[in-house]
Amino acid sequence: MAYSKLGEMLEKGEFILTGELEPEKTCDLSHTIQEAKEMAPYVVAANVTDSPLGIVTINSLAASAIIQRETGLEIIWQQTVRDVNKLGLAGMIMGAHALGIRNVLSLTGDHTNLGDVKESKPVFDLDSATLVKLVREMVDKKSINGHEIECPPTLHVGAAANPNSNPMEAEALKIGRKAEAGVEFIQTQVVYDLDKTIEFLKAIRKYNVPILLGLFPMKSYGIAKGFDTFVPGVDVPKDVLAKWKRIKTDITDKKAQKEAYDQANYEFLKPFITELKSKKLLDGVHCMAVHYPRIFPKLVEVIKG
Amino acid sequence: MVVITTKKEVPEVLEALKDVNKVAIISCGTCAALCQTGGTDGLKYWADILEEKGYDIVIGAVIEDVCDNRVMKKEIRRMADEIAEADAILTASCGLGAQSILTVLSDKYPTKLVITANDTQFMGMTERIGRFYMRCQGCGDCLLNETGGICPIATCAKGLMNGPCGGMVDGKCEVGNYENDCGWVLIYERLKALGRLDLFTKLREPRDWSESGHQREVVFR
Repeated sequence: MAYSKLGEMLEKGEFILTGELEPEKTCDLSHTIQEAKEMAPYVVAANVTDSPLGIVTINSLAASAIIQRETGLEIIWQQTVRDVNKLGLAGMIMGAHALGIRNVLSLTGDHTNLGDVKESKPVFDLDSATLVKLVREMVDKKSINGHEIECPPTLHVGAAANPNSNPMEAEALKIGRKAEAGVEFIQTQVVYDLDKTIEFLKAIRKYNVPILLGLFPMKSYGIAKGFDTFVPGVDVPKDVLAKWKRIKTDITDKKAQKEAYDQANYEFLKPFITELKSKKLLDGVHCMAVHYPRIFPKLVEVIKG
Repeated sequence: MVVITTKKEVPEVLEALKDVNKVAIISCGTCAALCQTGGTDGLKYWADILEEKGYDIVIGAVIEDVCDNRVMKKEIRRMADEIAEADAILTASCGLGAQSILTVLSDKYPTKLVITANDTQFMGMTERIGRFYMRCQGCGDCLLNETGGICPIATCAKGLMNGPCGGMVDGKCEVGNYENDCGWVLIYERLKALGRLDLFTKLREPRDWSESGHQREVVFR
């Protein structure tokens, strides 16, 4: 049973491209809405993040509902278990359905200790696997804790996986738990190492969960450097960083520089998509091109191959 | 097991004692003594500070097992005059000790101030004096037999039942700047060594808070 366009494509086994939107610390969503409009022609749906790094932003469910309503772009509502207990999450799942949301991504969430409201009580009543299980109980069994829901929610539920994880086996086995909980799709963390990615995807292929590979086109050298420096567990390869730096220093004309960055991203990301696709390790791509929607046509070009 | 305590900042304790003059200091000779927040160390530390600030110390006593109501009943009887005279009791113990004193005094002195000099941190495992680790949170539903003997509630910063989470990098936890081991990687490594990864792959239900999310007591007689 499919409840969304994403659900339909998962059901049909079509290659999927999803995007990502990061609302910020503001009640005004106009910038995010603009970005959503720009990526809408290329993606089937876009994630809306839930206060990443524990830094408060506008609530992800509210933002998801508004962006979907304003743009028509289907949203994958990201919900962490960091801030809300099981009782609250169950209520939000019903609320999400009532607001027209049909996809949710279950995440643990970065610890409150990392963010800008460190004194907050970290909740973590559920974890990313048991939130998946909760959604599936509410959707499939139309109940919570065995108590019937009069008008039950209909949402597809996904979860994350990290191919960069070390020890990798622990992460792969964890995906098995998420599969047991009933996860319907996986979006991976950003990948940079093709061999490591192949090893990980092979390890989790046995769980028969569609996998969308996380790619992060880097709009500029500054973004690449910041990502490498500040995002835990992410190491942008040295040669990639060097290439991006050369584009910044060697090309002064802004238009030419933009084109050079776009071309560099195209060349860097292409092998990930073509090779993993040919190895049948991929069901789609989750492109985290935040604030960089102009890259989507090039990505689509690669996917269509 | 030791209930680990650390000293409160002096201004905070003085603020709590600001309207009193005569103080009895009860310093616990058991766990707090090991933490050097009680025992003779704690007694001398607070007595010196209060004397310098002009307080009248009516008695200073080191008592073992302040948390035991039976002990405190006996000791309070022995210090009856001083306790009667004191405006407040400063307790260099854990929170259990402070509340044990309050409980014992409640009939005769329902409004006697009991001020705590320490912050109670956790039930600690001792590596050596001065180095203690939280390895159990007393959650009331022990998982150790399923997790290779390592507690995820105490060693995972998020207390997850199905870790590790995405905040783990190279076996380290995102909380504490990647210096602490990820509890779930420790569990994975231990279960792998034991040939029991079947326990690791098990999907665990969320913790049941219905029995432990409120006041608890154990009565077996």
